[in-house]
Parts: sequence; C-alpha cells; structure tokens
Amino acid sequence: MSKSPDATLVQAPGVTLTIDGRTVVGRKGRTILEAALENGIKIPYLCYHPRISRTGACRICLVKVNDTMFKTACTEPVAENMKVVSEDAELAAIRKDILEMLLSEGDHNCLYCDANGACELQDLVKRYDAQMPTGEFPRRKREIDEASSKGLKRNEDRCVLCGRCVKACGEIQISNVWQFTGRGSKTHLTSGLFEKIGDSPCVNCGTCSQLCPTGAIMPQLPLGNGFNWELQKESSICIYCGVGCKIDFHKNKEGMLVKATGNGDGPNEGHLCVKGRFGFDFMQKPTRLISPLIKENGEFREAAWEEALDFVAGKLKKIKADSGPDSVGALASAKCSNEDNYLMQKFVRAVVGTNNIDHCARL
Amino acid sequence: MTITRDTIRKVVLERGKAMEHLMLILRDLETLSGNNQLTTKTLEEVAEEMNLPTSAVAGFVGFYTMFSYKPRARYVIRVCKSGPCNVMGACTIFDAIEKHLGIKPGEATTDGVFFLEKCECLGICSVAPAMMINYDLHGNLTEKKVVDLIERYRKQKPAVAEASGPEVEGRECIVKADGQTKRLTGAIGAIDPLKIDSYLGLKGYEALKKTLKEFTPEQVVQIVKDSGLRGRGGAGFPAGLKWSFMPKGDMPKYTVCNADEGEPGTYKDRILMEENPHQLIEGMTIAGYAMGSQTGYIYVRGEFRRAIDRLQLAIEQARSKGFLGSNILGSAFNFDIFIKEGGGAYVCGEESSLINSMEGKRGYPRFRPPFPAGSGFQKRPTTVNNVETYASAPMIILNGADWYKSVGTPKCTGTKLYCLSGKMNRTGLVELPMGTTLRELIEVYGGGMKDGGKFKFAQVGGTAGGILGPDLLDLPLDIDQTIQAGVTLGSGVVLACDESVCAVDFLLNVLAFFEHESCGQCAPCRIGTSQLHRLSRRFAERRADEGDIDRMIGKTMVMKKASLCALGQSPVMPVTTILKNFRREFERHCDSGHKCPACDKTLRRFYGTA
Ligand SMILES: Cc1cc2nc3c(=O)[nH]c(=O)nc-3n(C[C@H](O)[C@H](O)[C@H](O)COP(=O)(O)O)c2cc1C
Ligand code: SF4
Ligand code: FES
Repeated sequence: MSKSPDATLVQAPGVTLTIDGRTVVGRKGRTILEAALENGIKIPYLCYHPRISRTGACRICLVKVNDTMFKTACTEPVAENMKVVSEDAELAAIRKDILEMLLSEGDHNCLYCDANGACELQDLVKRYDAQMPTGEFPRRKREIDEASSKGLKRNEDRCVLCGRCVKACGEIQISNVWQFTGRGSKTHLTSGLFEKIGDSPCVNCGTCSQLCPTGAIMPQLPLGNGFNWELQKESSICIYCGVGCKIDFHKNKEGMLVKATGNGDGPNEGHLCVKGRFGFDFMQKPTRLISPLIKENGEFREAAWEEALDFVAGKLKKIKADSGPDSVGALASAKCSNEDNYLMQKFVRAVVGTNNIDHCARL
Repeated sequence: MTITRDTIRKVVLERGKAMEHLMLILRDLETLSGNNQLTTKTLEEVAEEMNLPTSAVAGFVGFYTMFSYKPRARYVIRVCKSGPCNVMGACTIFDAIEKHLGIKPGEATTDGVFFLEKCECLGICSVAPAMMINYDLHGNLTEKKVVDLIERYRKQKPAVAEASGPEVEGRECIVKADGQTKRLTGAIGAIDPLKIDSYLGLKGYEALKKTLKEFTPEQVVQIVKDSGLRGRGGAGFPAGLKWSFMPKGDMPKYTVCNADEGEPGTYKDRILMEENPHQLIEGMTIAGYAMGSQTGYIYVRGEFRRAIDRLQLAIEQARSKGFLGSNILGSAFNFDIFIKEGGGAYVCGEESSLINSMEGKRGYPRFRPPFPAGSGFQKRPTTVNNVETYASAPMIILNGADWYKSVGTPKCTGTKLYCLSGKMNRTGLVELPMGTTLRELIEVYGGGMKDGGKFKFAQVGGTAGGILGPDLLDLPLDIDQTIQAGVTLGSGVVLACDESVCAVDFLLNVLAFFEHESCGQCAPCRIGTSQLHRLSRRFAERRADEGDIDRMIGKTMVMKKASLCALGQSPVMPVTTILKNFRREFERHCDSGHKCPACDKTLRRFYGTA
C-alpha cells in the first residue's frame, strides 16, 4: 500500500526545509515524515501508514525541529526553512527507550511469532539495539482469539496499540469493527461490542492484518506455513471480479501459496476483499475438481471433457427443439474476461437463439 | 429495571441522535437501569438507534470510569483516593466500609444494594476525605459518618435537594477569613444562585450591556489583553491573545468553557458555578462576542450535579431575559450556551481531549497542529478557557484593565483562587492577589498546620505540580515565579503535608493517579506511567535499590520529551521535586528492614500486600 491517499496534494506547492543538513523539498500540507520518505531519509515509525490518517501515537518518529522542539515527524507539517534533525544520540536513546517499553508491555517473542521476519517492531528493535525486558514490569494480559474467525487470528499480547487496525477498518474498509477500549495501561482492542472477531460484524477483508506492524492480527493460513524470509512473492490480478485488484501471492518453500496481500500499485491501492485475500486455497486443495463429473443414477462419475461437452450440447439441443430457444438461459461470470463474456452472449443469441443472457455482476 | 428498546428510543430522541450526545444518553440510561449497569444488550441497541458502530460505543464505555457494562448495584459508592483525600485518611474510609459492608473496591454487597469503587479526585478536597454515592457528594467523612450515611441510603434515597451533604455546598467551602481580595468570590453568599434577579441586583449583566453598547469585538480583545488576564486552568496562557487567534469570518465558532476540574485538589470552578452561575454565563457571552462566536459549551465533569443543575437553570433564566439567544439586548449579536458533561476522566480536562469528549468520542488528546482555534469542536474554530478565566471577564469590562492589574504581580495580574487542602487547621478556597506566598496561605488563611504539626512539604498546582519544601515557603505563588523555581502554580492547589506524611507513600499515590488517568494513546505515557507506578511501589515495599531513583527520573525525562500531551509530560515535576527534597527518605526505603507504617497501610489497603 504505497499510493498517496490524496492525489491533489501531489500538486501542492513545494516547501524547502533541511533534514539532517540536507536541503529537501517537501509539499505544503504534508508532514516532515512524508517529505523525508520521499527523499529517501528513513525516519522510523510504527503508527504511521500512508493509507490512513495521521495518528501520532507511537512517538517513534520523534525528531528535533529548529534545535529546540521535539515533534513527531508523522504529524508535523513541513514549513519553509524548517530545520529538522531526524537522528542523533538523544533521539536514538529516546527511540530505544520507547521500544523497550513496548517490548516489556507485551509478549514479543519472535521465536514463536508468525510475523517473525516480517515485523516492523522487530526491524526497529534491531535498528536501535533494544534489549529484552527484565521482567520486573509485569505485562498486561490481553485477548488471544485465534479460532473464532475463519479469516483472522488475534494475539493482542503482540499488539503495540498503534491503532492502524482501527483506522484500516474505519477508514479503508469502513466497517468500524476495531476500536480501542479501556484506558491508560489497560487500553486494549475490542472487535465490535467486546466480542470475538468471529461474532463481530467483521467481514474478513483482512486489511487490518495487512497493516498490522507486528504479529497481533494475522491472517489464518489455510495451506500451511513458512518462514517469512523464505516466501516468494508473485504479483497477479484477482480472478474474482471486474475491479481487478492487484494481489501479491506468497509461496513457501514447498511451493504452497500461504497468503495473499494487496499490492499498492493496483487500482485497489493495496486493499483486498475477503475473496481476493482468502479465496485462493481451492487452487491447491486435493478436493479441487480437475475433471468434469456426470451424474448417473444419483452418482457422480468422472468423464472426459469431450464426453461432457457432447453431453451438454446434446441436452441443450434437445431442450431447444422440445420447448423452444427461450427455455434456455445463460448467466455469465465476472471471473471471465470481457472476450469470454462477449463470446458467451454471441453463443446464446446467435447459436441458441434467445436473449436470455445475463451476468452475475448485475445480480 | 431492565431497559427496553422503547426507553432507549425515547432517550435518544430526547437527547438527539448525533454522536455528540452519547454521554448524556448513556448517563440517562444508566440512571434508569437502577443498578448502575449498561448491559451489552443496551449498548448494542443504543448503537443501532444512534446509527453508530457497536465498537464506538464499546470504546466509549470502556474509557469513562463512571460507566460500567458489568453488574454493579443500586448504589455505587465511590471513595476518593487522590492526593488530598489520601493525606486526610482515605484508607480509613475504605476500612470503615469494608468493616460495615464487608466489601472491597470492585465488589457488591450480596443484596445488590451497594457497590464499592475507588475513584480519583471528586473536586471537594477542602472537606476530604470524600466520597460519592451515585451522584451525591459527601465530605468530612469519619468512620461513624460513613456508616450513618450508608444506613440512610439503605432505608431510602434522600430527596434530591438534600442529596449532597451541606458541607459540600460551595459557599461552605470558602475560608471565612478577612484580608482576602474578593473579586470573583465577592458576591458569593450575597447572591442567590437560583435567582437571576439577585445577580441583576449586583450589577449583573451590566458588563454585557456595556460591551454590546460601547465596544467592538476587537476592543474587547484589546481590553482583556491589556488587563494581563492569563488562563487559570493551569498553563497560564494570556486570554486576550488566545481570543485573538480565532479566525475572522462567519463560520460557526465555539466558545468552550473547561469545567472539568479534575486536577486533584482543585474545587474553585465548582464553587464559582454553584454559587454564581450567571457570572460565568456573562463572561462566556462577552468572550463569544469578542471572538465572533455564536455558540458556547460548558463541559462540566459529570460528578458536579449541583453545578450542572444550577447552570442549566441560570442558562434558561438568561435566555428568558434576553441575555442569551438571538439579538441579545437588541444588538445584532446571537449567542447561546449548552452544557456537556464528563464521564470520569482527568485527561478530559486537557483541551483537545475535552473536545473529543464533547463529540461523543474517547477522550484522546489530539496532536497539534491543528490547534483548536483552527480546527476544534466538529473541526470548527474553538477556544477553550477555564471557568475562572471566563468569569473574570465581566469585572474587567466593568472596571477596566488598569483596575484589574492593580493587584497581583506585573506579569501575573489580578487575583487567584487558591484551593487549600491537606493538613491545615482550616481548608477551603481563598481569593488573594497573584503571588501570595505559601507561608501566608498556610499560616494566615489555613490557620497554621493542623493540630500544631510541623510543615514538611506542600504540593502546589495539583498532582501534576511540584513539591515545595520549607525553603520555598516564601516563594510568591504566581505563574512565572513558580516556573522559575522549578515548580508550577497550576490550577492553584495548595496541598499541605506535615511530618506524618511519608514522601514515598505520597509519590506512590501520585504515580498511581497518573497510571489510572493516562488515556493510553501514546506509548511513552501509557507504559511510562505504569512503570513509574511500579517503581514507586518498590520503594513502598522496601524492595527498591538506589538505582531505581535515577531510573524513575530517567523515565519521566523520556516521557517529558516524547509524550503527546501534557499529561505524559507532567510526572517529571512531582517526581524530580520530591526526589530532590526527600532523596534520603527514598534511600531509607531501599532498606528492607526500614519501618514505615504509612506505606504498610497503603500497601495493605490498595495492593493487598505487606
Ligand atoms: C491532563 C490535563 C488536565 C487538565 N485539566 C484541566 C481542567 O480540569 N480544567 C482546566 O480548566 N484546564 C485543564 N487543563 C488545561 C487545559 O488543557 C487548557 O489549557 C485550559 O483549559 C485552557 O484554559 P485557560 O487558558 O483559561 O487556563 C488540563 C490540562 C492537562 C494536560
Ligand atoms: S501523554 Fe498520556 S494522556 Fe497524553 S496522549 Fe499520551 S497517553 Fe494520552
Ligand atoms: S509514526 Fe509518528 S508517532 Fe507513530
């Protein structure tokens, strides 16, 4: 999900500032963090994500502005002649402290975490050399709900309360399933009204799992697991509907597809619906149909394509002859290409001789 | 009573369907429930009727401690454990209730009549220790008084008029001592707060008349600037300057009064609202005129029923006399005021959190920019000022800027309402020129330390304020001189402590408060407040090592630099000042053999240890 949420800002006038002594041009109305990232300066962050509104909660992106002020780069707009220091010993120490606080708040053990190797918290812990908690601050036990939903797993002991899921659900999917509840050190997430995800109004689009920087919300993996660093990614277009979302499919060492994520370059800008994100397991399931079946005496038997097509053609001809062409109708599929659909209506109109043709996308 | 769908529909219809009414809708329904519970079924139906996501309602209920979706009882007894009540013996009140009813905080009596909760400051600190039974406040508690009250409620709930104790009545909480410079409190006692005529008889609304007749909005702003009036909510920002930040133009603009008064030890705003509500209404109307705003809101903490009722009555009276509404006093100026209520969250006194709370959301502070003057309530230009600040406007208009400046210090003009609490012979509100010293406050107005005890320290400015030892007794308490001395005047709290108060126990209480009241949004404060609380507990348990002192200071420093709002930036002040004054005492608490009855008592009562 890398596209800017607001294309009009791209044309906004330039603002010149310095970051770490380098003169860069940001755009009016945008933040220091956005200006930095566009110019290849890697200010660290956790709660920021380009697809959602500004949050400013994790405080990891703290920078020094004009020598005196500490500001979060993800919320502070750029200003002409602003002087930004994105990293020095003091800032690094603050970031390390915050990271160690976060580590002590939850159960952040990469050894058994699904996000190992694909975790933004882990990356930052490495970058700032944050140390393991000593255990003197007892951690908050939060909700673990790994089975109620077919799409998502929740292990809130791995949550850093960045709020990306809340906004992913509220601003991208507009389902508003996630929200914070409780307060202070007892803050935690709720799905719906203190429900399990599976009982909540969640539609399993999985956008929260894609934006989650840690392993707190993960997709269920229907076809097996794999180490994140072994997964091979291939981009494709979703087969389900005419939007044509761009999807990254992740394949493990054994060649199994283990997950799908939205690709930011497609028309979906990284978003996917439940079908695109989870509806790929049929491809590699042993129960997948690989040859046509014909039902005889109430039982299915395998048949060759030749035989099956002849069978269907014969039946269609017979219906047309016995009851007229208008007794036949066809429903075309949104999964087919435009060319396939064109041929389908041609076949129904010209060969069968009826106008009874429709398309599932109109239903 | 179980809440039916019809009841919910009716309440939502009455209050309004928009999200901003969620607080009042839930408060109505909770009262109707008869057992102080909002069941998940009720919440789900409220969400449906208001067309809100269920998660928004869940998030809201979970944030405000006055609500509960878990079962409670017919009466919820909330006993205050904040600084002033703690110093004055809150522990003994919990003991008394446990002895009498057999319940600990979080438990209900088996007959479903009483449920006990601990809570933070109730805003009646001069009569500490204090508690609230449902919405009735009671102070000056003793073991006997608590038992009597409980038995009275068991028989029958007292009629509304006598519901809160007489000792809590605003005028009773003012120190009766000569020598005060009574400006804001001058009319208190002479005015019947229920009758607008009584206010009118004492030059009431004359300032508004003068404003509308003689001044342009710009001139009003200038007069307030000239008067030197600075915000009385804690930060001391110049009021006239703040008003001048409001954009010009015809868009909706909001004049918001911060009456959340959650800073432990503060109760001045409550007294002003209860005893002279029209003074505040007049002040806000003048401010509204100065800023070209048409609508005012007073956000009052939910615990202040008497203030809310009196303000509501006063607003209606002002409307009927033409001081509020359209074309006020024949001018082209339209202005009206509405009341919003809080739900038990200290952080909602922070102005951007207050604005979120007014919108029916979790009280999370907002990052700045945008500032409220650019994008506040409902994303519209908004100015937030404290009650005492607005209430000062009428007298400034009537008597002029020079008159206002004639008392106080050059940069901190006018009078200040100091809220005395703790171990003094006399506690209550006093009005004195800005810059009065701690010594004068304690010795003259507080009548000296209680029972001849020896002064050990005072916390000035509230729980977020600093600790002043004997060396600062002669520090003039105004906004700037306190800051220069490394402390703060804050909201004007003076909590005096004698030798019986243990510094470790005191700090433990302060840090428990911050953990409880952090909104939980930003990482350094959410986790930092929790870790500070834990570290201070190690001292109370006499398990700490000396390095823990510096670790506490280190944490507060990170929080100071990195937290999103001033709450997370606050603990540094009480922590560093108390450690500066009483480092030895903390070091002694590192010795497991050290005896400390004060810490033992707290640990037994609130932590179930020792
Ligand atoms: C945690 C926190 C709590 C606060 N509580 C209050 C309060 O209860 N009442 C108040 O007037 N200001 C409170 N403030 C200060 C407000 O944010 C704001 O500065 C003030 O209302 C502005 O009004 P003034 O300029 O008239 O003082 C609080 C600030 C913080 C950070
Ligand atoms: S500093 Fe504390 S109270 Fe303020 S936003 Fe952060 S968590 Fe909330
Ligand atoms: S990325 Fe800026 S505060 Fe989280």
